[in-house]
This record gives sequence, C-alpha cells and structure tokens, in this order.
Amino acid sequence: MAEPRIPPRRGLTRRDVLRVGPGAAAAMALGCGPRPPAPTERALDAGRITGTIVGASHRTGHRLRDGARPQPREVRDIPVVIVGGGVAGLSAAWKLARSGLRDFVVLELEPDAGGNARWGENHVSAYPWGAHYLPVPTAEATATRELVAEMGLILDTGPDGGPVYDPRHLCHAPQERLFIDGGWRGGLSARDVVDPAAGSAAAAELAAFEAQARRYRDYRDGRGRRAFALPIAAGADDAAIVELDRMSMREYFDRAGWSSRRLRWYVDYCCRDDFGCTLETTSAWAAWHYFCSRPDDVEYLTWPEGNGRIVRHLLERVGGNVRPGMLAYRLRPTGNAGDRGVPGGGVDVDALDTRTETAVRFRARHCIYALPRFTAPHVIDGYPAAGLEAFTYSPWMVANLTVDRAPDGAAWDNVLFDSPSLGYVVATHQDLRTAPGPSVLTYYLPLTVPNPGAARAWMIERRWRDWASLVLADLVQAHPDIESRVTHLDVMLWGHAMIRPTPGFIWGGARRRADAPHGAIRFAHSDMSGISVFEEAQYHGVNAAEQVMRALGHAHATSL
Amino acid sequence: MDDPRAAPADPIGAGTGVLLISVFTIATCGLIYELLAGTIASYLLGDSVTQFSTVIGVYLFSMGVGSYLSRHVRRDLITRFIEIEILVGLVGGLSSPALFFAFTEINAFRVVLYGWVTATGILVGLEIPFLIRILEDEFPLHDLVSRVLSLDYLGALAASLLFPLWLVPQVGLMRSSFVFGGLNVLVAVWTSHRFRRHHRRPWLTAQACAALVALGLGGVLADDLMTWSERRLYEDPVILSRSSPYQRIVLTRGDDGVRLFLNGNLQFSTLDEYRYHEALVHPGLATVAAPRRALVLGGGDGMAVRELLKDDRVREVTLVDLDPMMTEIFRDHEAFAALNGHALHSPRVEVVNADAFVWLESNRSRYDFVVVDFPDPRSYSLGKLYTTTFYRRLAGRLNPGGAAAIQSTSPLVSRRAFWCVVETVRAAGLRAKPYHAAVPTFGEWGYVLASPEPLALSDAFPPGLRFLTPAIARSLFEFPADMAPVPVDVNHLNNQILVQYHADGWRQYARNRPY
Repeated sequence: MAEPRIPPRRGLTRRDVLRVGPGAAAAMALGCGPRPPAPTERALDAGRITGTIVGASHRTGHRLRDGARPQPREVRDIPVVIVGGGVAGLSAAWKLARSGLRDFVVLELEPDAGGNARWGENHVSAYPWGAHYLPVPTAEATATRELVAEMGLILDTGPDGGPVYDPRHLCHAPQERLFIDGGWRGGLSARDVVDPAAGSAAAAELAAFEAQARRYRDYRDGRGRRAFALPIAAGADDAAIVELDRMSMREYFDRAGWSSRRLRWYVDYCCRDDFGCTLETTSAWAAWHYFCSRPDDVEYLTWPEGNGRIVRHLLERVGGNVRPGMLAYRLRPTGNAGDRGVPGGGVDVDALDTRTETAVRFRARHCIYALPRFTAPHVIDGYPAAGLEAFTYSPWMVANLTVDRAPDGAAWDNVLFDSPSLGYVVATHQDLRTAPGPSVLTYYLPLTVPNPGAARAWMIERRWRDWASLVLADLVQAHPDIESRVTHLDVMLWGHAMIRPTPGFIWGGARRRADAPHGAIRFAHSDMSGISVFEEAQYHGVNAAEQVMRALGHAHATSL
Repeated sequence: MDDPRAAPADPIGAGTGVLLISVFTIATCGLIYELLAGTIASYLLGDSVTQFSTVIGVYLFSMGVGSYLSRHVRRDLITRFIEIEILVGLVGGLSSPALFFAFTEINAFRVVLYGWVTATGILVGLEIPFLIRILEDEFPLHDLVSRVLSLDYLGALAASLLFPLWLVPQVGLMRSSFVFGGLNVLVAVWTSHRFRRHHRRPWLTAQACAALVALGLGGVLADDLMTWSERRLYEDPVILSRSSPYQRIVLTRGDDGVRLFLNGNLQFSTLDEYRYHEALVHPGLATVAAPRRALVLGGGDGMAVRELLKDDRVREVTLVDLDPMMTEIFRDHEAFAALNGHALHSPRVEVVNADAFVWLESNRSRYDFVVVDFPDPRSYSLGKLYTTTFYRRLAGRLNPGGAAAIQSTSPLVSRRAFWCVVETVRAAGLRAKPYHAAVPTFGEWGYVLASPEPLALSDAFPPGLRFLTPAIARSLFEFPADMAPVPVDVNHLNNQILVQYHADGWRQYARNRPY
C-alpha cells in the first residue's frame, strides 16, 4: 500500500502555540514544548508587522535592588510625600486634594503615572496596558462611589434610590464570548461555559457551584457584613469564611467532588484573569471572593483606555503634584520629632530625577508609601524584609495589536477556551460608530508558573519577535486571518503585575503586619488586600491619606 | 506490500520528470479547489471559521478515503492516473460555477458543497498513491517518498500564496476555478501524450484536449457567469452593483420597478416606496408648527428628502448618511436621481457623509423635524442606533415643538422589537406615538413619532401625495389586536435587547413563510 498522503498543514484550525525556546518555565507557562515555526511567522519574517517591547522600566527599578545611593544636592521641606503614582498613590493624592490639602508631591518612577491602569494611544484608539474595567461599585465601596459620581458617570437616581449609570460608560453589548469547539459562543458565565446537557454530572456540579455562590453572596455575619466585600476590609472575618483561605480552590473542588472539565477550566480562567494564579495556586477564599463580592449581574464601567480613564480623571485633579521619572531610592524615618512638629518624627525621602540624574531630598512630615510592598526593604532604612516573603507576584505579558478591522462579531472580552492566554479585549468596543473600522486588541497573558521568579527571568530574555509570534499563534486558532489583519503589535512586560492570593496569604497575618506604619511612613497598596483590584488600591490610598490628615489635624470628611 | 501489476509496462525512464511536475500541479490545484470551496461557502453563508473548518475537514477526510480506495485499482495505473487527472480538472474546474449555481438555483447548497468537496478530495487522494506506485521502480522507496511528498507540500505552499495574493483579488473566484481546472487537465494532456506508448489509447489525449477546451471556454465566459449567478441571487436583472467599504449596493430593475438592496436586504421597491416614505415623513412633519430645519439620518437614497421638499415650510434639509457611494448614486446617476426627483441636488439640501451617532455627538445644531431612517437593528452595531443613549442625543437636537419620525421595523413580524423601540424612546424622556402603514413589498411597517412635548396630530399634508389622506393618516395610529403593545424591556447600549427581539421575530417569520 502506498504512503498515505499527509495533508498540507495550514495554520487554520491548528492549535498553535509557538516555539518559545528551551525555558522550562516557559513550557510550563504556555503548556507546551518546542514546536516548529507556525505559518503566522511569515508576516513577522517579512517585517509587515511592526512593534516593540515598550516601557521596560525594570532596569531603573532594579537600581533599587542593586543599591543606587547618590547624594542629594537639594533639600525641600514638604508636609506629605507620596511614593508611587499608581492607583493607590493617586487615590491618596486625590483624597488629600479633595480635602483641601494641596502641599504634597507624588513621586513616580515611570514617565507616566497610573501603575497597572496605564494606557497607550495611537492613530486608531486609546488602549489599556493593564486594568481595563471597573465593576459598578458595590455599596461598601464608598470611596469608589464618590469617585464615579465625581467623574460624572451617573446619569440619574433610579426608582430604588440607587445610581443610574450613563450607558455610554457601561460595557456595551455584546460583552463576552468564548471560542470553544471551533466556534464563538456568546456569554462567559459558568453556565455559558459549562453548557451542560440536562441531567448530566456537569449539570449537577454547575447547579451546586451556583448554589454555593448564592449562599456566599447572601451570607451576612453577626454585624451584617457580607462574606466577601469590596473593599475586603468591609467584609466578614468569621472563622467559617476565613478558613476557606487555608486551601486552594483546587482543593475546594476536590472536596466538593466537582470534576467537570469545563467548570474547572472556567474557575481556573477566572483565577488567572483576576489574580494571575491557577486553580492550584489561588486560595479558595480569594476565588470565592471573585465570584461573590459583586452581584452576579454586575455591570462594568469601561473605556477605550480602560482604567486609564480613571487615572486621567485623577490626574486632572492632582496631576500638578505628580513628578514622573522620579526614583525614590531611600526613605529614612527621622527620629527627632521636635523640628517637624510630628510626634513620631518625620521622614527623609531621597529621590533621583532619572532625566537629569540629580538627587533631591524631600524632608517630609509624612510619607505614604504606595509602591508594591516587596520593594520596602530595598528603599526604607531599617525596614525588615522578614514577613514580606509571603508577598509573591505574578508576571504578565500584555500585547496591544493594531488591526485594520475589528474581528466580525467581536464582543468586548473575547476568550479562547484552553488557551494559556486570557484572550483579548477590543479597545473600540464602546465606540458609537456603526461602520466597521480599525481597532486595537489588548491581549493578556498571565505567566502562571509556580515559580514567578523563574518566569520573570525567562520573560526578560524574550525578544519582541518571540512574543509577537506567540500572540499570533494563539489567536490564529480563532481568527485564521489574524496575521493579515495586524499592522502593529506592542508588548509590555509586567514583572510584578499582581499580588498572588496564594492559600494562607490573605488571612495568614502577613497582610495585617504589612499594614503597620513604619515611623511616619504609612503604606498604601492593593498588595495589602492580597488581590489586585482597583477598589482595594483606592481604599488603601484613601485610608492612608485620611490617617495622614488626622495626624496633621487637617479637617476632612471620611470617604470610607 | 507487493503490487501485482498485471500489465508489464515499459520502463517509465525519462518520463519521471513529467510525473513529478504533475505531483506539484495536483497539490497546487487540490488546495486551490479547497480554498475556493471554503471562500465561496463563507461568502454565501457567512461564518468563515465554520465554513473553512468543515470544508477542510471533509476535504482531508475524503483524500484519506481516496488513498484507501487506491488499493482496489491494480492494473493500467497510468491510464487510470490520466483519467483521474482529467476528472479532477473537470470537477475542480467547475466547482465555482457549480457552487454558485447550487446556491441560487436549488435549495441544497450544503449538500452540493460537501458532495463536491468529497468528490474532489477522493480524486485528489487517489492520485498520489497511484503516482508512487507508478514510480516505484524508478527510485528507491526512501528517495521516492521524499521527492513526491516534498513536491506535494511545495505545491500546497504555492497554492496558499497564490490564492490570497493573486487569484482572489485579480482573477476572481469563478475564473480561478476554470484556470486551475484547465491547468490540471493540461498536465493530463501532457502526461497522456508523453506516455502514449504506455497506455496505447489514442482517445485519451483527445478526451483530455476536449476537457481543456471546455474549461477554457468557461474561463473566457467567467465574468458573464459571475454576473449571471449574481443576478440569480435577485429576482430581477441587476442594473447597478457596487461595493463600498460599508456595504454591497445592488439595484435591480424588473417589470414592476427598481429595487434597492443593501447587503442583500431590500430597502425599497419603486412599486410602493412612496407608501413607506410618505408614511415616514408626513404624519410627523404635519405636527410641527414651523418645520424650517429638517434632518435626515440614514436614508441615503434621498426618498425621505424628496418627501420633505414637498413641504414649502422646510427651508433646509441636512442628510447624514454613512456611505458616500450611496448618496453619490442617488445624486449623480440620472436614472436613480430621477427616483427621488433629484432631491439631493436641491439648493435646500446639504449632504453629509458621516456616522450618524458620532455626528450627533459632535453637532450642536437643533432641528424642527428629524427623520430617522436606519436599517433594521439586525446587528449590535446597528442596534446602537436604537438605544436610550441615541434617543437622548436625538432629543438634544430637537427644537421645542419639534418631532422625530423613526422607522421601527415591522410590528406584525417583530412585534416585540417594534414596541421595544417605542418603550426605548419613552425611556429616553421623549413622548412616543407609534403608528404603522401597509407597504406591500415590506409588509406591515412600523414607525414611532418622538417629541419632547405632547404632539397634536394634523392633517395639513402637502399636495401631491399618493398614499396619505387625512382619513388614512388617522387610521395609521390605530393598532389591530395582532400588533398591539406587548411588555418589553428597554434597549440600552449595555443590553441591546432589541437585537434579540428583532432576530427572534424575523426568524420566526422566515420559518412560517408560506412559500
């Protein structure tokens, strides 16, 4: 018998994650080993798709780790210094400014403030580099509600007395879709994904999962607090709930006897999406918090630049106080209180202007430290490293793809079943135009390997081309023509994108210890909640600002 | 495996080159047929991922069937090979016309599609095993397999590059099919001639030549065939057919008049479009005390503008339509401009080509009367034009005492969609007066009059109307029981429930249509 004819291969239906080099971490992260080059590389080889790795400030950041210590030539006295211009730092600034305290400075290392909510812009659209939506704030998120009202997102008061949001800013239909079984399907709830046959085991598991979510959502403790609130600080802390933190979501599934592959995939996807962790590495408490802290019909506020829109608003209020390109390399609490009129003493903040390479010393009465918590021992004199090793971070790669035409039938969030990525969001989704046109797709890839340090080392070694071919090979499954649609592809690498709520972290004590001020230094970061979401970052920023104002005797209304 | 070839052949010898070239040609042509089938199926049915996936799957599977079946052919391999080549050329070469014909003429497009793909796949699947067996005495097996398969893949590469870069944009789907069928047969002619001493059938070469002539003729007539098949998509002869970046515009002319289709959807027929446009414009226009400034959103055919210009009180009309090609056809092509009475040439009319929603956001003017004549909310992008957010913008552009008339799909076919528009207008803070009119080519059609203040209906229509009379106009606001209000949700940008209502209504209608 003759040789069977081997079909010509065409990267059309083939699941194709690219050759990513010999890194074992990579293979684990991407669920594959070395593969032959995919057809999607042709456009890269031809140079038809341009792009670069943007915003690689890890080198500047690593100057902290490597002990950069220039001598300040200039000394300035200022009541409050905020170190870090992410959402926590900007929210602290916002609260101070809103309370009439304007004499402060925000030191931001990057050229642009915003942290995880930074954004980019090109001739087609603005687009997010990280956080891209804000769920409509719950009743507990008082500061967030205050902010969205100030932003003018609320149109009216509804018949129930609650806010009616301007539909322009609520995520338009269709919101989500999933590429599964070779086609797109609308919706991305557990029910949409599992899509069980009636009477099947999967249907029973889904019903049990949904019933449990309802129970947790409806739960109130003795003080009327919800089991899972946003901010976490407003929620219950009874043992019955808190003990969920001792196990991983995987263990929770095993104990519940839930084995439906699609239900597992779905919850794993949600963990990767919200925390950059897998089912195995996410605490069950954190996973249930994701499902139960918001109503199940929650709506999302979103904009082309994602949460960059919120940052823009904050910068309208406090942008004048933000000093970008400033590396705060040393914070030293000063013991002698007398000269600054603060009982606990003040703090000297030494910062390097990375553009002029000159150093400045800010002699502050108070400092709000709004950088990721793991950096503290590198920057703050005498800050103990012990206790911070519990703070671990997931690295992410985010790519923004400029396409000459948005995919047909695209939803806002477009997820690929069984992909290591989270799929992509469409930056022009909120556009009111009816005609099809070019767009920017923001593609998210959390590197969920057990050892984030190894993943970071591996990430830094990858060149732009490696990332570009990886992204295209992932998307080509669902979009056979993706290669011819993309004109430009930029990549941003986030070494420490998100705090990881691994089992035991949120309720294990490390988080509470990290709350304690260090002299006149107060801390503000979503790290201290253990989950990287806007409401938590804002809560800690506003909380630190209010503590500072109390210490300064500055009158203010609380937002919390 | 031993192969009892009964007829001892002469050594193939120098003929191997011809056979290896035919491997390359077969691979190229085979993939081209597959791409053609996938493209035509996507073009006619949409959902390209499904079409390509299923076409490729069926094709590859059929090649496997062909390879398997090849074991049953034991003698006269060269003859069989040449016959199959001629057959592949004919089947593949006729694939485009066959598929277009199947779509327009018979109701079993998918049966023909997958049948055709299966036939092509089986034939192509037979060829490579045959070739390997023909050549097995010429090369050691390892060398033979390497030569044949590498040429096979090279051919596939050639096809995959030629198809998107040259064939689709330059040659067209119909002609590509004939060209590659012809190429396939050409190789058969050559092979047949070169191996005439092996097969000893003088008629084989002649048969191949005949097939070649037939396909060549098809290639010459490809444009006519394409036009013909497109005409068959519509009932009447196509008199103009253009593709803009936004839509495919087709105008047909039959015994009963001119029809406009956008992306295959009927927009008007001159048989009764006056009914639709008189009902769209005049009931609302008559309620406005001093309609000096009017705005038309959508309606690039100029028919609504024509109706507005019949009223002398209207001093300025702004027409906002997305597609410059539409407004150009209905302004500058005499045959079509005549249909709207050259309304778009009137000094009272200004034409703006812009996306209506975006234009409304940026434009600060106010109008006394607005005609909203968008396509039905068939998609989420069109559905945006029927949301509370849109109607709030619209309300902001209306003068006090002004009104807007909104085309709102059929209250009979898609009752919930119609009443959803009514409720959405109300939720946006406007008054809504629903009405309807019978437009034979459309069916019962619905409209909504929206206004910031309560409207008093008026009979003061301009002269020269063919449909509206005061008595008829009053009756339009009465809804029979089968179109009466139903409870519906409001259409917001973040739910777009209207798109669902509309699809449900029309899907049911299509299912229950009498023919």
